[in-house]
Amino acid sequence: MPGIDECLLEAMRLPGARGAALVDWTSGLALGTVGEAPGGDHETTAAEAAELARMAAEHGAFALHGDGADDGRPPVEDMIVSNRDSYHLLRFLDTSFDSTVFLHLWLGREDGNLALARIRLGEMAARLVLG
Amino acid sequence: MTVTHIPPLPVRDKAAGRALSPMLTRLAEERATGVLVREHGVLHLAEGRVVHAESPCSPGLGVLLTAHGTLATAAWQQAAAHTTSPPRAAELLLESGLLPVGALELCHLDALYDAGYFALAPSSTPGRFRYDHTPRPGPLPSVPVVALERETLRRRLLLHRLWPDPAADSAPLIRADPPAPAPLTPRQRAVLDRVDGVRTATGIALDLGRQAFHTLVDVRRLAAAGRLAAAPGAVPDPVPPYPPPVADPDIALLKRLRDALEAL
Repeated sequence: MPGIDECLLEAMRLPGARGAALVDWTSGLALGTVGEAPGGDHETTAAEAAELARMAAEHGAFALHGDGADDGRPPVEDMIVSNRDSYHLLRFLDTSFDSTVFLHLWLGREDGNLALARIRLGEMAARLVLG
Repeated sequence: MTVTHIPPLPVRDKAAGRALSPMLTRLAEERATGVLVREHGVLHLAEGRVVHAESPCSPGLGVLLTAHGTLATAAWQQAAAHTTSPPRAAELLLESGLLPVGALELCHLDALYDAGYFALAPSSTPGRFRYDHTPRPGPLPSVPVVALERETLRRRLLLHRLWPDPAADSAPLIRADPPAPAPLTPRQRAVLDRVDGVRTATGIALDLGRQAFHTLVDVRRLAAAGRLAAAPGAVPDPVPPYPPPVADPDIALLKRLRDALEAL
């Protein structure tokens, strides 16, 4: 069963991975980081990514409106931000305990495979908290 | 009537005052092992790193793990009964394989930063450090002192930006009805549903099995939106101070005294 560091190192083995972090979107704290950070500072990156994640997690526009809307689980599974040279993939963790955590993977656009990374990051997020 | 000139009290240099606890900084530098008892919580240090934190203001690891059924309450109680302290109980759970490693590490770090925030809150009494060989680096992640201090300062600033009045942090909370209420997030609704004129933010956090700092973030946001307030006239819930270790020579003080004498 992987811990936080093993999970982040596994994410770094994805083609094109530049950096990865486990971040709490309420506080903006990076609970674990590996590789590079855009701008060179994991702490700032975590705080900024947390703002974006919080918007997606809390705003009604992205919430579920059908069955299961009030089950307390994160409504959003993941978010993708693409810029001209890289992708940012944010994957929310669905935990059995109360938490507001997501995995952030920074992926080079040239070598990265967004579709593969999205599937694999989802699997890693589940394994991290479900074993 | 004679007016005596009272010299101003010495004021600490603001720039030098960045460290939340000078004692803690010194303990980290000397890679100390032991327990730092402060007014609102305790920090367990192993070789100068924080391995565990506890505060009466925040739910502990056991609450976070059992509140939503991640771990059966009986399993936690059993682990706690077989060990001497919560960090040991967590290690026992790790060895037992009852919980996914990632989930346990995550809850452990959540509880550590949460309790650390309160333990490092401004206090009216000096902290006391007990050199002790009990805390040791274990398989669960530890945190450098500077990282905990930096995060605590960042969290204070975050709360201040949301709503600068800390009155609602520790007092019993009451609901308020603004004329045009802004929509609530599901997490805010859970907090507001538990506001009953008696519970404090800490009480709500315990009830929700949620980190106390996370609860404070929503309490400050709800206060800013005019949805809740500190109960009028309520004396802020006095935080039960941690019992200081008794019959224990104050080694930290003696060491400081020795250092000061040697420096003469």
